[in-house]
Amino acid sequence: MIGIGEFHVGTEPMMAIGLGSCIGLTIYDKDRHIGAMVHIMLPDSSGRSDRPGKYADTAIPLLLAKLTEAGCHKASLVAKMAGGACMFEYFGNNLNIGERNAQQVRAILAANHLRLAAEEVGGKAGRTVSFFPGESGKVTVRSADGAAHEI
Amino acid sequence: MKLSSVQMDAMQELGNIGAAHAATTLSQMLSSPVEMSVPRITVVDISQLADHMGEESAAFVVFELQGEIPHGGYIIFYISKKSAVHLTNTMLGLTDPDRPLNEMDESALIEVGNIMASAFLDATAELLGFIMLPSPPALTIDMAHAAIQTLVAQMQEEINEVLLFSTELVCEEHKVDSDIIMLPESTTLTTLIERLENLMKSGP
Repeated sequence: MIGIGEFHVGTEPMMAIGLGSCIGLTIYDKDRHIGAMVHIMLPDSSGRSDRPGKYADTAIPLLLAKLTEAGCHKASLVAKMAGGACMFEYFGNNLNIGERNAQQVRAILAANHLRLAAEEVGGKAGRTVSFFPGESGKVTVRSADGAAHEI
Repeated sequence: MKLSSVQMDAMQELGNIGAAHAATTLSQMLSSPVEMSVPRITVVDISQLADHMGEESAAFVVFELQGEIPHGGYIIFYISKKSAVHLTNTMLGLTDPDRPLNEMDESALIEVGNIMASAFLDATAELLGFIMLPSPPALTIDMAHAAIQTLVAQMQEEINEVLLFSTELVCEEHKVDSDIIMLPESTTLTTLIERLENLMKSGP
């Protein structure tokens, strides 16, 4: 289980529950069958470095460094993301953090030449994301009243 | 922000008074007794938020705290989905406890949330002369963690720890279990504590 701002690298199943405007980002090495997952809360760190997993701009370089350390090559890495919902319309007018999170993740992935293979973002509903590096990097998404489906 | 035990006591007293008003109102709406818990003040690291609010489905009626402090945090009427059905069934004169929630229920929940938040904030204004006005309400019925996480992400101040100030309201007869939760910005919390301390100093 990966809480807000936390990340994990390994081969075991990982999960981030109840993502609202947060993003669950997974990066999977299809040759080495290792994966990494992070629970991002905000788009920009604005120079803060105490919790790199909390921000899109620091979380992605962090995962990339950890995966490289584990012997992964960039060319075999595939990213997927889910979350970034706008749960409260009234407060969402000026401040759609979910959407900004998703945009920033896309931008930082592109800047790091990482491929985004799938995404399920936006909407109004919360999501729980599960990641199975041991099953070819399978990523499933579940909402409060729905069954889990693969993305 | 760390609170001393005296400050905790003062906040609990404030919660007692605020929630007592809300409980009375809820009790009138349901025409049966409503019990309230001792208010809880919990400081939670954001990475551990899921231990307090997990995947369970719940209704959140959320108001931003406005007034003297323009973006003062949030006040939330929180009720599990099950309890929400019991509550609206009682209000609407329905009986099926397993039916899905519809638009009518949503309106009813927003209405109850409105009344609860106003009762709570009226009491704090009366006691402390600190005006906190609720914004128009926003409702979601979804995973508890997803809702609370979204509010934490949009707080003015960048935080790693969240202070949850909650009081439980229970109506046993109708199996309704709800919470009033305040998620204050640190400016709001500081003001509340200052005013409470002044009140105690000048007390009877």
